[in-house]
Parts: sequence; C-alpha cells; structure tokens
Amino acid sequence: MNGLQLSGIYKDFGSVRAVENVNLDFAEGELTALLGPSGCGKTTLLRMIAGLEMPSGGSINLGGNNITGLAAHKRRFGMVFQNFALFPHLTVRENVVYSLVISGTSKSDAIATGERLLDLVQLSGYGDRRIGELSGGQRQRVAIARALAQEPEVFLLDEPMSALDAKLREDMQVELRLLQQRLGITTIVVTHDQREAMTMADKIVVMSQGRVEQVGSPQEIYHQPENAFVADFIGKANFFDGVVEGGKIRVGDALLELKTPAGFLGGSPVKIACRPETPYLDTEGVAGSRLKAKVTFVRDVGPVRDIHLETEIGPMVVEYARGETDRSFSIGQDTTVTLPVEGLHVFPRTGQEAA
Amino acid sequence: MSVVSEPSSAVPQMAAAAAAKRLPLARIGIWAVTLFLCLTPFLLVIAISFGQKIEGASWEWAFSFANYQRVFVGANWPEEFTALYLQKLYYSLYYAVIASVLAVITAFPFTYLMTGLSKRAQSAWLVFILSSLSLSEVFIVMGWDVLLSNRSGLPMVFKATGLTQWLKDVGWFETLRDWGLANPRDVKFKTSVFATVLTMAYLVWPYAVILLYPPLSRLDRSMTEAARTMGAGPWTVMRTVVLPAVRLPLMGSVLLLFVFLLGVYVAVTVFAEPAKQTMAVSVYEAVRGNTLNAPFGSAQAVILLLTAGLFLALGQWLTRRNAS
Repeated sequence: MNGLQLSGIYKDFGSVRAVENVNLDFAEGELTALLGPSGCGKTTLLRMIAGLEMPSGGSINLGGNNITGLAAHKRRFGMVFQNFALFPHLTVRENVVYSLVISGTSKSDAIATGERLLDLVQLSGYGDRRIGELSGGQRQRVAIARALAQEPEVFLLDEPMSALDAKLREDMQVELRLLQQRLGITTIVVTHDQREAMTMADKIVVMSQGRVEQVGSPQEIYHQPENAFVADFIGKANFFDGVVEGGKIRVGDALLELKTPAGFLGGSPVKIACRPETPYLDTEGVAGSRLKAKVTFVRDVGPVRDIHLETEIGPMVVEYARGETDRSFSIGQDTTVTLPVEGLHVFPRTGQEAA
Repeated sequence: MSVVSEPSSAVPQMAAAAAAKRLPLARIGIWAVTLFLCLTPFLLVIAISFGQKIEGASWEWAFSFANYQRVFVGANWPEEFTALYLQKLYYSLYYAVIASVLAVITAFPFTYLMTGLSKRAQSAWLVFILSSLSLSEVFIVMGWDVLLSNRSGLPMVFKATGLTQWLKDVGWFETLRDWGLANPRDVKFKTSVFATVLTMAYLVWPYAVILLYPPLSRLDRSMTEAARTMGAGPWTVMRTVVLPAVRLPLMGSVLLLFVFLLGVYVAVTVFAEPAKQTMAVSVYEAVRGNTLNAPFGSAQAVILLLTAGLFLALGQWLTRRNAS
C-alpha cells in the first residue's frame, strides 16, 4: 500500500452536513490523530474510511485504488471501537481469531496467530477467559489484538481510550504508540483529548463543525495555530480582541508589537492569542510589549504555577514551570508582563466575534 | 423538657408499630387472595380428573386413575391398546412446535430490520402490531377461513389465474396432492396441516415481534460493525454475531409461543381434519361438547398442563446449559 488519500469527501445526514470537503493524505506507517470537539465529524470521517458510512461525495483511495464504494468487509481495515465491541459469547481467544476463522484459516494457524497476538498485547494466558471477566484495559488490548489479526492495511481507532480511567489511559497511549511503531501500520485515531493526540500522533488533523481546521505535527499545531479555534482547542491561550494599526495591534490603550507586521489592512478587527507559558513577568530586555499588571490569583498545581493577572489589555494567565523561577508572587502585587513578539498569534476576527 | 417531648415522640412510634402490624396482615391477605385465584382452578381440575362419569348423568368425586389410563393406553386396556388421545397430544405438540418456530423464524428478520429504522418508524410499526393483538382468535380464523376456502378463497384465485393448470402442466400438482394440498381437480387448503399451522403461526406472530423487539433493539450495533470490519459479510454477521447474541431470547420466545399454542382451539377445529385434531379440542368436547365427561376432560387438561411444564423445564435447562 502507498498510503490513504481522501479527496473532497463530504457527508450529509438529511439537511445537515456532518463532514465538509475533506482532503487528506495518510502516509504509510504514520499515526494520524483526528482531533476535535464532540460533533465535529471526526468519527463520521473515520466510519467513512472504514466503509461503515458511505460518503455523500468525494473519493477514498488506497494505494491508488478507489475504494469509496467498497463494502467494509472487503477493505481489510482493522478497527477498534469506542466501547471495544467485543463479542460476549466468545472467549478472548475466539474474539482475537474471529477474522481468521471466518476467512477459512486453518484452526492450528488461527490458534498460533491468536497466541502471538495475545502475547503482543501482553495477555498471554488469558485466551480461555470470557470477555466479562476482563478489566477495561484488558478489553482494550483484546480489541486491539482482534483488529490486528487480519493484518490490516489501515488500523482505525475510534476514541480507544475513552472507556479507561485517567492513569490507565496515559499508560495505554504510550503502549499503543510503541506497538504501532513496532508494527509500522498506517493508523488513524479519533480523539477529543488533545493530550492523547499530542502523545501518540505523527500528524494531527484538527476538526471543527465538519471542517478540517489545520493539519500538522503536534508541535506545529501547538506553536503555530492557523486560526483562533486551533489556538483555543489545543492547549491553553490568553485571547484579546484588537484592531490593526500600522503593522501593530491596538488593544485598548496598548499597542502590541509583532514579530512580523500583521498582514491585515489597517483598522481590521483581529483576535490575538498568547500561550500562558510565553509571557515574562517583571523581566527587562525581552523584545515585546511590556504592560503593567497586578497579580489577582496564584494557583500552584505541582509541576506548574498559574499566575492570574489583571493587565491594561484585560485578564491574563502566565504559567511558570516548577523551577523556572524562584520568585514568589502574591495577590495584589504590582508587576509588569512582557508579551514577546514571537509569542503572539494574530487571527482575523469575523462574524459575531467582530460585533 | 423530656417529660414534654416523650408523649409527642411516642405517638408516631405507636402509629408506626400499628402500621407495621397491619402491613403483614395486608400482605398475607393479598397473598391469600392471589393464591386462591391462581391455584383454585388448577386444584379443581386436578381433583375432578380423578372423578368418575356417571353414564347418562353427570360425574361424581372419586380417586381413580382410569381417566389417565384412558389417555395413555385406552379405556379397554389391557384387552385393547388405543393411542387415540396420545395421537391428539402428538398433534398438539406437532402444531405448536412448528407454528411457534415458524412465527419466530419469520418475526426475527422483520424485527431485526425494524430496529434499524428511525425511532418514529419503529413506534409506528409497534403500534400497528400491538393493535393487531386486539383481534380475537375467532376473528382471525374467520378471515383465514375465507382466504383459504375451497370455493371462494385462494384455490379459486389459483384456478382463475391459470396457476392450477400451470401446476398440473409442470407436474407439481401431484406433489401438492401427496402433501394433501390438492384434490383431483383443484388446489385445496382446507382441511390441512399447512392451513392449521399457518393460521396458528399468524395468530402468535405479533407476540413473536413484541418478544423479540427488546433484545434486538438493545443489541449493540457496534458488534455487527466490528464483525464487518473484520471481513464478515451480512450472512456471516447474522450467523456469528447476531444470532448467538440473541439465542436465549429466541429460545424463550419459541417456548412461550409453544405453550400458548398448545391451547389453541378455534384454528384447529376449523383447519385440521378430524383425525388430526388436538388435545385442546378433545378437552373442550369432553367438558362442554358431546361426551360431557368432565373428569376425562380434566385428566387431558392436566396432561396438557404437565406437557407444557415439561417443555418449559426443558427450555430452562437448555438456557442454563447455554449460559454456563
């Protein structure tokens, strides 16, 4: 296979367009995360790739072959469902070798493959157990082993961690990523958890309201968001509304400097995003806009400290990693905050935002 | 303070104690009435089944197994063995098994497809099916009687459209005759096992849909989708995922309808030939019909009841074995 391509894919449910003109390339052996809030169309897109939903338009190509109309059972795409969808009437081993048994693989080969896959997902010795006897994490491993049994060309996972508790989820994210790297299967994961996407993915596709908002590596998505939605959805950000003025941005009485002049006409309404870890407090000699500020709240959450400020352009949160500074801040303290030029992202402000 | 407060707290305590006393009495009363209403008819039938008929008159209380003997080996045993009533029991089981299985087999795909429709469409179908339950057995049998009648029903339609002649031309008419579904000239459905079973299956078909609807609507559709992504075509999905997942409700539905069909009377009297009548018909004839032999009718009713119980127990045993 030479990767999976989606061209102009869209899906309508009645008068509602769930997925809008999606064009994506999934490189061979790469793990891509479809990331977005609930109802953004990411699961619908995954189901169209799996063949469980027919697109209303566009095409899906695998290795140059158009598979848009190909039935799900002829695609050989392994899929892990949100609730794992294991068969309760079968044992763990019977679940894992299901695809092999129905395809006519000999019993001995199926059993050997089943044992190898159970070993791969660290469930050796669990083959004879019933599904009801397994924990959530074990069920997820069985679902992964079952989806891998047919040696799929593409491995699809629909919110695979959502049924697990927080601790197990973190462990399984790393485990799943290591397994995928070892097997080198083209993998697409649907998630609404940006931390999960950042942990596992080579490439993240951020979706909103059926549209693809941005495609890029986790670092690109985080540090160079292409619009306000991505900046807001991925990580945390301080937002300010401003107006373009001579290549700078006016917010209230302050004029904020940018690394490169804003590519907007003078007077254009814009939205500025600033990650909380980028501003400097009470620091001189940094290229950027220095503003007066007053500390309103300090939140110490172990590895980081959030310092809430009231500034002349509005409220803001600055985040310091533990050990980054030994200065202490107290509520009511006057200080200055510098917004570095490379830390400001400017987006057009449209529609209701501009009103 | 305590002097004032004690009487006021004692009043509700006494009321609660009185209520607690009344509650067991009320419960016992309800249980007694329920047991009386449920058990009395059965106990009466069992008691009467040991009674004796007085020739030319009514019957009298007794303790004789003669009625049971008559059912199993005939009244003149050991001089003569007669399996007439065992044959009636056989036809009771035969019709009930085939009709209940037929109803469930045909209701299953319908209900499965129905659960895939929108909620609105499902509700409309359920209302329609539930409303069909308001039709009485007599009304339904009357409709089928007209539909299958040899002079004005389907046989005449077959004849008028040339289908009967075509069946004769291709040689299938003789096969129908062998099956008892044709006379020398025309196709006929009355009287036949086919018409009896068909009408009985039709009678309980709405019940089959209603019994199968809850388990099928609760079936996790992601399991069928998972099977599809693993290479299973529609029939394989049905065979390996859907049917095993609902096998217990399927067995339960067949059993329930089977027990219900053991007692069907009107359909059998109209569509079954006299030699293939069931024990339910025989019970009615003994109790209310020509023979007026209530003890013998009661003995047959008890045997029918025990047969139903036996099959229910067998079903329960199979269910437990499958579950384990």
